[in-house]
Order: sequence, then C-alpha cells, then structure tokens
Amino acid sequence: MSSDAFNSTTALLRMNPELYTVWNYRRNIMTQTMFPASEPAEVNDALTEDLSLTFTLLKQHPKVYVIWNHRRWCLENVPDGPTEDDPQGWKMANWKKELFVVEKMLDADARNFHAWNYRRYILANMANAPPPSTELAYTTRKIEANFSNFSAWHQRSKVLNTLWEEGKLDEKTSKQSEFELVQNAMYTDPDDQSVWIYHAWLIGTGEDASLLHREIASIQELLDEQPDSKWCMESLVRYKRLLLRKHRPSLSVVEGEQLLQDCSALLAKLAETDRLRRQRYLDILQELQRPSS
Amino acid sequence: MSSSSSSSSSTELSIPLHVKYIQSLGENKDDLIYHMTSHLRLNAIYWGLTALCVMNRQDALDREEMIAFVMSCWDEEAGGFGAHSGHDAHIHATLSAIQILILQDASDKIDVPRVVNCEPSKHIFHSRRTLPEMLTEGLPLLVILSLQQPSGVFAGDAFGEIDTRFSYIAVQSLSLLGQLDKLNVDKTVSYVLKCRNFDGGFGAVVGAESHAAMVFVCVALLAILDKLDEIDQETLAWWLAERQLPNGGLNGRPQKLEDVCYSFWVLSAMSILGKLTWIDADKLIQFILSAQDPENGGIADRPGDQPDVFHTLFGVAGLSLLGYPGLETIDPAYCLPESVTKRLGLRKNWKALPKRT
Repeated sequence: MSSDAFNSTTALLRMNPELYTVWNYRRNIMTQTMFPASEPAEVNDALTEDLSLTFTLLKQHPKVYVIWNHRRWCLENVPDGPTEDDPQGWKMANWKKELFVVEKMLDADARNFHAWNYRRYILANMANAPPPSTELAYTTRKIEANFSNFSAWHQRSKVLNTLWEEGKLDEKTSKQSEFELVQNAMYTDPDDQSVWIYHAWLIGTGEDASLLHREIASIQELLDEQPDSKWCMESLVRYKRLLLRKHRPSLSVVEGEQLLQDCSALLAKLAETDRLRRQRYLDILQELQRPSS
Repeated sequence: MSSSSSSSSSTELSIPLHVKYIQSLGENKDDLIYHMTSHLRLNAIYWGLTALCVMNRQDALDREEMIAFVMSCWDEEAGGFGAHSGHDAHIHATLSAIQILILQDASDKIDVPRVVNCEPSKHIFHSRRTLPEMLTEGLPLLVILSLQQPSGVFAGDAFGEIDTRFSYIAVQSLSLLGQLDKLNVDKTVSYVLKCRNFDGGFGAVVGAESHAAMVFVCVALLAILDKLDEIDQETLAWWLAERQLPNGGLNGRPQKLEDVCYSFWVLSAMSILGKLTWIDADKLIQFILSAQDPENGGIADRPGDQPDVFHTLFGVAGLSLLGYPGLETIDPAYCLPESVTKRLGLRKNWKALPKRT
C-alpha cells in the first residue's frame, strides 16, 4: 500500500518537482512507514536512490528550491553504518558525492546561486571536507574561466576571510597577490563590474592610506589609457573620498583641496557619461561641496 | 505570445488588457497548466489581486469566491494555509492568505463559519469567530513563531528549509496581524545582518551572494522592524543603482540579464532607502512596458516572452513606485497598496517618485 503511494509520489515529482506537498508526503512515508520496517542498509539504499532521483531532476530544473532541499534532507538522514566499527561509512560515501554533483551543476551554470549555497552547505557540514585552500583554488579556476563570474569572486572573498582568520594565509601577502589578479582582470575588461566590486572589497574600509594612494595611482594609469572608463572614474571617486574621510589630518590643505577638485571633476564627467545614474553623481557632488565635508 | 515588433511599439500600460488577462487565469481549471501550478495557487491569487488593486480594478475578481477558496486552503493539522486545497501548510502560502483576506477587507465583514462550511474543511471552525480572532488567537501565529530557528532565521515549514525570505514572511505576517510584540526582534534582525555582504547587499542565508530578491526581503524586514539604521545605506543604494542595464531593465546580480521582476525588488529597496532617483525611471518604464503582451495582456520577464501573473504584478508594482499615472501607490515594504498599510497604521517612511500626469 505505502509502496504504491511511494511510487505515485515518484511519478508525480518527475512530472512536477515543485509540488512541495508531494515531497512532504514522500518523506512522511519514508520516515513513518518504510524506515521503521527496514534494516539500516535498506534505509541507506533508499536515501541514496533519492539522491540519484534529485540529481536527475536538478539537471532539468536547476533552480527549484524544494529539490535542493530534499537533497539536504536525504543527507541528514543517512543512518550510521555499514558496521559498528565504521559508523560514518555511509555518510562519508554519500556526502563525498555531493561535491561532484555540485561541480556538475556549476559547470552547467556557473552563476546558479542555489548550487553555490549548496556548495557552502556541503563544505561546512561534511566530515573530512577539503580545506579552504582547495576551495580557493576552485574559485581561481572559475574566475580564470570567466572574469565576469561574480559568484566565484564572492565565494573567494568568503574563503579568504576564513583563511586569514584561521591564520592559514598571511593577510598582507595574500592581499597583494589578490590585487595582482584583479589588476589583470581590470585590464582585460575594464567594464566588468564584478572585478571592481571585488577590488572595493580588497580595499575595505580604507584604513591603509598608502594602499589607497597606490591603488589610486594604478587606476589612474588605466583611466589614462581608457579615458571613458566608468568604473575607473567611479572607483577613483570612491577611494579619494575614503582618503578624505579617513586620512584628512595626514593630508596637507593643498592635497585635500586637490582630492576634492578631482572628485568633483570625475563626478561631473560621470553624470554626463553614465546617464542612467546621473542623479547619484549629482547627489554625491552636492554632498562634497557642502562646507562640513 | 507577443511579437517583438508589436511589443516594442507599446508605450502605454494596457490596463484593460491586463485585467482581462488576470481574470482569464482562473477560468480554465481543466487545463494542465492550472494543475501544474497548483503549488503556487494562493500566491498567484495574491499576485493577481494586488496587481488589480494597483490598477484600481480590485472588483475584477469575485470577492466571495476568492475568500471561500482561501479558507479551503486552511490546513488544520499544521495550523497554516497551504497553496491549494489539500496541500500542506507553508509559511509562504499563509502570508498570501493573510494578504488576500486583508485586501478583501475580510477581517471584520466575513462570517468565517459560513464561508468555511461551504468547504471540505468545515469541521475546523466551531464557533462563530471572526477571521482576525481566529488568526490572532489561533494556530497560525503560534506556528509562525515556532518556525524561528535558534540562529534567528525562519524555516518555511516543519521540514526546515531556511531562508531570509521566510524571515520576511514571518515578520510581515505578524505585522499584518498586529502581533509583532510576540517576535524576538533582536534575534530576527541579527540573522539578517549576518547575511549582509561587503557590497552592501544581502543573500538568502549566511555566506550567500547578494541577490536583489533577498535585498528586497531583508530591507523590507528591517523597515518593518524600524532597524534600517543598522545597515550601510549608501553602499547598498550604490549596488542597487548598478542593477540598471543600458536597455533600462534591472538585473538581480552583477553581470546578469535584466528581468521585469527586479523592477519591484530593486525599486522596493531603493524607495525604502529614499534613493529612487538614482536610476533612470523613464528608461525602466519603457522596459517594463515593452514586456507587455499587446494581444492577450499580462507582462513577461522580458520582451517577447510568455507573460505570467508574477511578472504582471512586479511590473505594475514597479511602475507604481516610479509614479506611472493612473496607478495606486504600492507600499514597497509590504507589496500591498499604500491605502491598506495606511489603514492598518503600518506605513513606514519610504518614498515613491511623484505621480506623473
């Protein structure tokens, strides 16, 4: 009886995997009827089978929340076994497959945020997860395949934070190589905002004045080559304003005035060239010209 | 389906056509597509009804029939509403049910036992309690609160999928029911703030990439709870302004395609931050209008695609925030007409663009 009902849920979900009530019903049949009458090995087999089913469904419907959610539920319900001496065996075998699955999904669509969220969930919860340095290498591969993949830049920022906090990478040295990676990408396509947003993350709150000066000079060089580059101008305004906000006492009056003038000129040009966001530039310009700033 | 040549020539919002389109959606209950979308039925009714309200045509769908359908979605065992009669309760369907009943002003007029007696689930209501009594005393409230996890985020149902969307749904539901005082605000807000990224945006869970839909839910949640001072508004408004593409449409993340639904999600957050002037309203209006189906009504994700009720709502809601003439103003924090949130005393300090004439 319940196996008929169970098979009906499979058929329905193959037709429409978004039917959350059918997934619920299926899980209830499993936990309330099937599992209590099964050996742990059978429970493990059933869950492994559901993992295969959801992989098939995800290939057709990569953005359906409830399919991803059912995968999580399967993994979390894998029983201890196969033996008392090896209680983690089944869990390890199932979880280990997940990184492969999620990489397949990200090969098909490198921006699928469901897949990226699932990836982070797997890395955070699996036993013997690969170290963050392996994940850093993964983001390098994804970024090198496509500089526009902001999802990979985002993941990189999270992984680097972990590596720095855990003391596994020296923040200063590693940041330096990140600046080199970004600069390479900037020159490849100065219109790609992914790279500039990541650059802004590297700069952070702008406490390091010499870093700000150095990056401003480097972006200015690119702007001289590409005089209409919106992101060069936008970033110069951002970093020059950070200098004014955070390091005013260390600047001479002339330097301060110069920065203000630079920002005003850049904002005026941005208001003319990036017409969609014209009012934003005018608002910042007005704020800069207020005596208190 | 619209041809690209005819859709690009549409320059006005075809209100009568969209009203007809929304009316037509409930008519073909034998269609496969009707059953294939049953898991979204209650949400779809909320999308359609709200779109009609924004177009000042709330009367276009039958009120009594709608209320009866909503009540038939009540899941007594779980204490919430499912997306369709016989479907399990879920926090998203529950919010849609509450929103529909509030839009229909059913809270004090409707005779719950009578309505419910027409439906299979009649055994659940014994007394002649009104809907607000039932909702505020009854299970939905307890169930919503019980979905909060130790981390502060909410789950969608008993199976535990977590997401900032569900936190927003919980907060809006409690707010509409006048029950926010029962919420652990600090815990709720603290999870949302952990989902904030260096670019100023928010993701679905801690660690997730910023996404305009999650920016909408997180910013609206913070607005409803009066916690907007906790975030870096300037960085967020910059990130939001950068969602506009040269064709006028908005995307949801850097280097992605435009889609009409972001017209509401991005604009909602921008109007809450008072920064709607930071994008080009004319070009966005033209983009939304170009995604209309000029023959059968409805708005699609982008020009030439098949329309649906979801994009129809978020298209007209976006136009409303941009001051498009002849539309009722939508409240960006609740995605309900401003007249409704004003009536409930829930209007926050957001700013739509001035009405055009």
